[in-house]
Amino acid sequence: MLRLFLSPDFLIAILRSTTPILFATLAAGVAAKAGICNMALEGIMLFSALFGVIFSNLTGSWLAALLLTCVCGGIIGLVLAFFVLNLKTDEILAAIAINLTATGGTVLLLLAFSGDRGSSTFPTVSAPAFGGVNIMTVLSLIMVAVMHLFLYKTPLGLQIRSVGENKNAAESVGIKSIRIQYIALILSGVLCACGGYFLSGGYMNSFTKNMQSGRGFIALAASEMGANTPVGGFLVAMLFGVAQAVGNQLQLTSIPVELIQMIPYATTLIGLAVFSYIVRKRKEKLANG
Amino acid sequence: MKRKALSLVMAAALLAATLAGCGGGGAAPSGGGSSDGAYKAALLLAGTLGDKSFWDSANEGLAALKAESGGAFDYKVEQMGAGAADQANYEPTILDYCADGEYDVIITGSFTMLDALVSAIEQFPDQKFIFFDETFDFAANGNPGNVYNILFKQNEVSYLVGAEAAMMSQTGAICFLGGMSGKVINDFLVGYIQGAKDARPDVKVAVSMVGNYEDSAKGKDLSLAMFNAGADSGFNVAGSAGMGLIEAAKETGKLAFGVDSDQAALLPDYAANIPTSALKNVGAALRIALKQDMEGSLAYGTQDYFGFAEGGVCLVKDAHYEEMVPEEIRLAVDDLENKITSGEIEVYSSSTMSTAEIDALKASVALQ
Repeated sequence: MLRLFLSPDFLIAILRSTTPILFATLAAGVAAKAGICNMALEGIMLFSALFGVIFSNLTGSWLAALLLTCVCGGIIGLVLAFFVLNLKTDEILAAIAINLTATGGTVLLLLAFSGDRGSSTFPTVSAPAFGGVNIMTVLSLIMVAVMHLFLYKTPLGLQIRSVGENKNAAESVGIKSIRIQYIALILSGVLCACGGYFLSGGYMNSFTKNMQSGRGFIALAASEMGANTPVGGFLVAMLFGVAQAVGNQLQLTSIPVELIQMIPYATTLIGLAVFSYIVRKRKEKLANG
Repeated sequence: MKRKALSLVMAAALLAATLAGCGGGGAAPSGGGSSDGAYKAALLLAGTLGDKSFWDSANEGLAALKAESGGAFDYKVEQMGAGAADQANYEPTILDYCADGEYDVIITGSFTMLDALVSAIEQFPDQKFIFFDETFDFAANGNPGNVYNILFKQNEVSYLVGAEAAMMSQTGAICFLGGMSGKVINDFLVGYIQGAKDARPDVKVAVSMVGNYEDSAKGKDLSLAMFNAGADSGFNVAGSAGMGLIEAAKETGKLAFGVDSDQAALLPDYAANIPTSALKNVGAALRIALKQDMEGSLAYGTQDYFGFAEGGVCLVKDAHYEEMVPEEIRLAVDDLENKITSGEIEVYSSSTMSTAEIDALKASVALQ
C-alpha cells in the first residue's frame, strides 16, 4: 500500500484531479473579488467540456480547441454579467438558469454531433502530456501565479478588488464598477472554461454527460476557504485533490467504500471549520487589541 | 421595471430551452390508427429513446410485437426524460394514463418510477401494470393484484463476463468498476466474482465504486489505480462513468467489458479493448409478458426473473467478439452459459445474500 502512495503515478493522479478544480477555483476567486458569487461554474465547465471535444474534432488541433473553448467560456461569463449587471437578475437565479441550460443543452448538442446521448463517440485531439503530466496541469499552476500578480500588482486588479470591497466607494473615485465586474466575470468564464476543457481533453479523452459532477461547486467552496485569493484557493484545491487521490487508492483496501467516499467532503468540511475558527480568532484579537 | 420584466422573460426562455433539451417534451405516439378492439399498451419511459440500450430495447420489443400481431396489438410511447426537472412529471403522467382508461396495460420501469407507480396502483386498482428492472415490494404495498414485475438476472450474464475476464487475464487479477453499491450493482458484482473464481480459482478481483453514474473522470482515476495495482481486464457497470474504465483500458492496453449496450459497436475508437458487452434484453422480456397477457395467462401479482433460459440477458457474440476472444475461451464460455441455462450452475444473487456474505466474497478475492 505504502509503495502505491509513494509511486509517481500517485503524484500524477493528485495533479490530475486537482487541475480542473484549480481552474474553477481561480475562476470563482476573481468573480468573488469583484463582488459576485459565480455559481454558474458548474454549467460553464460542462459546456466547455463539450465544446472542447467538438472544436478539437472540427479543427484537429488541441490548441485551437482550447482557445475557442475559452472564447465560449468568456461569452457565457458575458451572458451571466449581462443578466446580473444590466438586467439586475438575482445572480444565483441567473447561474441556476445557466447550469440547467448546460445540463439539457449539452445533451442536445451531443446528440446533434455524435448521434448519442451519453458520450461523444467521435475522435478528439487532447492536450499533450509530458511524463504523465498534462500541459493543462502546468498551465493551471502558472495561472495561480498570473492571477496573483494580476489581482495584486496591476491597476485593473486593484480596481476589481476595490469594486468587490465597496462598489460605491470605488465609483466615487471614478471607477466604472459595471465595466470592472463585466471584465471579472468574463475572465472567470475563461478560467473555468480551461478547467472544463481539461476534463474532456486530457483528464478524459471524450465527453460524457454531466461529467463535471459537482467540481464547480467544490471550487466555489475551495475559493471561499482560501479567502478568494489565488494562492489560498490553490492550497485548498490541492488539499481536495490529495483527498480524492488518497480515496481512490484506498478503494483497493478492505475499508468500506461508503467511508472512503466521504474523505474528500469530510476533508473540505473539516477545513472549512478550521478556517472559520481561525478567522473568528483573528477577529476577536482585532476587537480586543 | 421594464428591465426587470425583460430579465424575467429571458430567464423563462432559458428555462424553457432547458426543459426542451432534457427531452421532457410531449408524447411521441408511435404508429397510431389502431383498429378497434386491439390490445393497447402504454410504454412510459423514465428517459428518452435513442439511448441505444435500455429504453430503445423496450421500444423495439413492443414494435416487433406490433408488427407480428397483425393489428391485434398497439402501443403508445411516452418519453418522460430522466432529468431532475422531469422526475416531477412522472406521477402526474402515469396518473393521466390511468385516468384515460383506454390502455389494457401500462408498462414502465427503473427505480426512479417506483414512487409514481405505487401511487398509481393505489388510486387505480383496476388498471394493470407491468414494471421492469426494479424489485416491486408486493408485501410492503398490500399485495396488489394488478402489477406484474419483470426482473433480470444480471448476475448470470455478469458471471460469464467474470469467467471470460479471468480467462483472458495475463496477470491473474481483474477489476470491477461499479456506480453505487446497491442491489443491482451488487448483483452484477457477486456474479462477476463467482464466475471469475470458477474459471480461475486463484483469481484476484479489485472492486471500486465511483459513487455516482456520471463522474467519468473519477471512474478513469479509479480504473487506472486498479490497473496499476495489477489488474489487466475489467468490467464497467457505472453508467456513463464507466467510460472511465474503457478509456483507462485503452491508454494502458488493458481490456474493458461493456454493459447495457454493445459498447464495442458504439465506440469504434475503443473497440480493440472491448471484447464483448453484457446486455439486458428488456424488449424480449416485455414481448413474452405481453403475449401471455393477450392470452389472459399473465400472472399479475407476481414477479419473474428473466435470465439466460428466458432470453432476458445475453452476451454480445458477433464477429468482433470472435476476433478478440480465442476459440477455447469462447467454447468454455458457451459451456458455462449452457450450465447456467440448465440449472447445473446456480449463480449467486445479491437479493439472497446478506451484506456480510457479499463482503466475505469480496474479501476472498481481494488484491491485498
